[in-house]
Amino acid sequence: MSNQQLPEILAAVFREIPNLVFTEQTARRLRVELRPDTLPALLELLKGRAGYLHLSAISCVDWPELDEFELVYHLWSYEVKTLVSAHIYIPKNPGRYVSVYDIFTPAAFFERDIHEMFGVYFEGSPDMERFILTEWTGPPPMLKSFSSLGYVEETFKWEQYSPDWLKEIQANGGGIVE
Amino acid sequence: MTTNIPITSDPNTDIACRTPDMQERSLLRKVIDRIADRCRSRSLFILHYCTGCGAIELPPTITSRFDSERLGIQPMVTPRQADILLITGYLSVKTLKRVILTYEQMSAPKYVVGMGSCTINGGMYWHSYATIKRLQEYLPVDMYMAGCMPRPEAIQQGFLQLIDNIDKGKAIAWQDYYQQYDKYLANQQALFGPDWHTPTDVIAEARHYELFTEKTTGEHTALLAKYASKYVTLQHEEHEEIVK
Amino acid sequence: MRPENYQPVEHPASQEYELYFGPNHPGIEGNYALKVRLTGDEIVGIRADGGYLHRGFEKIMEDRLWIQNVALVPRICVPDPPPMEETYARAVEMIGGLEVPERAKWIRAMILEMSRICGHLFILGGTAAPIGQYSNMFWGVADRDYFLDLFEALTGARVYHMFITPGGVRRDIPDGFLDKLSHILDYLEARLPEYDDLFFNNPVFHKRAEGIGIITQEQALAWGVTGPNLRACGLALDVRRDDPYLIYDKLEFDIPTETSGDVLARTMVRRSEIIESIKILRQIIQHLPQIKGPIRCNLPNPLAWNLPEGDAYARTEAQKGELAFYAVSTGGAKPWRVHVRGPSSMHAVQVLEKLCLGGRIEDIALIMFSLDACPPEVDR
Ligand code: SF4
Repeated sequence: MSNQQLPEILAAVFREIPNLVFTEQTARRLRVELRPDTLPALLELLKGRAGYLHLSAISCVDWPELDEFELVYHLWSYEVKTLVSAHIYIPKNPGRYVSVYDIFTPAAFFERDIHEMFGVYFEGSPDMERFILTEWTGPPPMLKSFSSLGYVEETFKWEQYSPDWLKEIQANGGGIVE
Repeated sequence: MTTNIPITSDPNTDIACRTPDMQERSLLRKVIDRIADRCRSRSLFILHYCTGCGAIELPPTITSRFDSERLGIQPMVTPRQADILLITGYLSVKTLKRVILTYEQMSAPKYVVGMGSCTINGGMYWHSYATIKRLQEYLPVDMYMAGCMPRPEAIQQGFLQLIDNIDKGKAIAWQDYYQQYDKYLANQQALFGPDWHTPTDVIAEARHYELFTEKTTGEHTALLAKYASKYVTLQHEEHEEIVK
Repeated sequence: MRPENYQPVEHPASQEYELYFGPNHPGIEGNYALKVRLTGDEIVGIRADGGYLHRGFEKIMEDRLWIQNVALVPRICVPDPPPMEETYARAVEMIGGLEVPERAKWIRAMILEMSRICGHLFILGGTAAPIGQYSNMFWGVADRDYFLDLFEALTGARVYHMFITPGGVRRDIPDGFLDKLSHILDYLEARLPEYDDLFFNNPVFHKRAEGIGIITQEQALAWGVTGPNLRACGLALDVRRDDPYLIYDKLEFDIPTETSGDVLARTMVRRSEIIESIKILRQIIQHLPQIKGPIRCNLPNPLAWNLPEGDAYARTEAQKGELAFYAVSTGGAKPWRVHVRGPSSMHAVQVLEKLCLGGRIEDIALIMFSLDACPPEVDR
């Protein structure tokens, strides 16, 4: 998009990475899409040249139709004062990616979290042990194929509750919104 | 000096020195229980275990603004000395295990209070895979406080009601845990797997409190005996039966 | 009598032993556990164990409508819920391209700052408790209640307000609210010297807190520390200043810092932030009556509200640090994905582990409270 508003320091970094597409979403928000193999290089460059010291978060999104996971690295620079969200897509099978722990220490927590919630394995991450779901035996719960409601209905007992006032509302076409 | 100090006493007139007959004994017991209940209801210790978000309303309730200490209610840090297990909201399955462990460590009589709608039917998180829905399936609940989250006034009202119930001898849900242990264990096992066990020998305790009924043991305690035999003392005949 | 299958425990040759710190422990904030390995009282290994408060927020939010989630989000962080609502609302507004009316922005900022004071009062009491100064805890909780009363007058609820909705706020401020607020601010300001005498200038506290749990500037940046904990290392970084949202670019406030980065510095930063928040609230009280207009933009029928496709990353300076929501919409009535970056997700796990290592057991509670680690937002 408009290259003029982009700080020169960022533009220089983006030029180094092949196949990089960026869009300016709103003020101070840059959306960057790139190939998975170039992401560590981008992070390295951003950290080294543009002062992107703060890894705000790593988000994972499950896209079942594409059969891919989207990993989003949100980086903030205290100098440039712009958030760069780097999006990459990795195939669900085998669902492995490299860890960026050596560049950003906070990555360890987010990668660990994504590992237990989505089942993505990060090579080189210091700690892939479970943290939250230590006593969970089911599939990674954040996958779209896992239905929370389905699991609840299987596991827990419900008591039928249909008071008269609710029946009345339902008879008139109202009721609980699904 | 005519003070008459009896040197010996006739054992049949001194209440302390003779064996009361059965009727008298049960009467005595009733009186003492009544006194004990009254004393108990005036000095309650809540176990300090913040299991959910309702815990944020406890500091105002306990400290100077609402001051539940004037009702004789105070927080206590160890389960052994606590009377009330206050479940302050949703329980994840992982926490429920710890809560059951804690509950079994508390000494009887003990009271479970479910605070917030999450303990009643899952509340906000009714379709969450991680939290339990109805507390009373896993632990005997004496009282629920509805609300999300209940206000300090509601908590205090609940405490007053609990005090009243204890005073009148109506807060006896803890006996239910011993009497129907198999039912509770069944629900616990359904959630945690068949090899779930705690280091407390509930069946022996049930016998100790003379609360052993035919529902205390059953097929689920049999599983317990299979997986964790060192924590269960079944009577010899029962064991034979199970082995058969 | 030993059970038949008793097996003696093998004791390692060293004097090391393992201790479970929590989840049911008065020295731990919330429902959280630490597995500590000790020799004597020195910590030689520490491992955080969370998930006791896991509710699967991110999953259940995907099953609900955009508007239904407004009721869900404040419950992510218990002591400081309004920033959660604000951040979620802003993420939705960024995706949907909604324009928040000016008056709503001011009201939102007011709520956020009130909540910041509440959270700080609460955690300052918490910091005092592990060193035995319970009066401060009682005071903090009692003074926080004045603000909860204000919240109640404004929103109808004490803790979870669900007041900030995408597009604005739910209601306008009631009559006389600003007077009440300014009265309480006066009260709190007059009260601070008493807090100083009791706690902040207390030599016992200084002795105990100085030099404990030090984070250096480099470490803070490398470990992803944010919020007051970062400012205690001498870095004046604040999302409100760097990445301004709402009306924070129009307000005048300082970013208080300390230099030593220890427990004492973190506590002192919180104290100064209360003063800054009071300053901000005073400005809001002054300006809010002049700003007229609606308090909410027009929304479609919330039960059939399809947000356009897109994603957004909203950041807020919560009381505990940087809070962020990443929301993805595929054009449906429900979110496709919402990721919550709680401020404590760094502080309560990695930073806490690193700070405690090599320290002594009695400092764990102090360090944890001074980091303001809040387990519910780690577990989500
Ligand atoms: S009832 Fe409400 S306040 Fe209580 S634990 Fe549940 S969600 Fe939280």
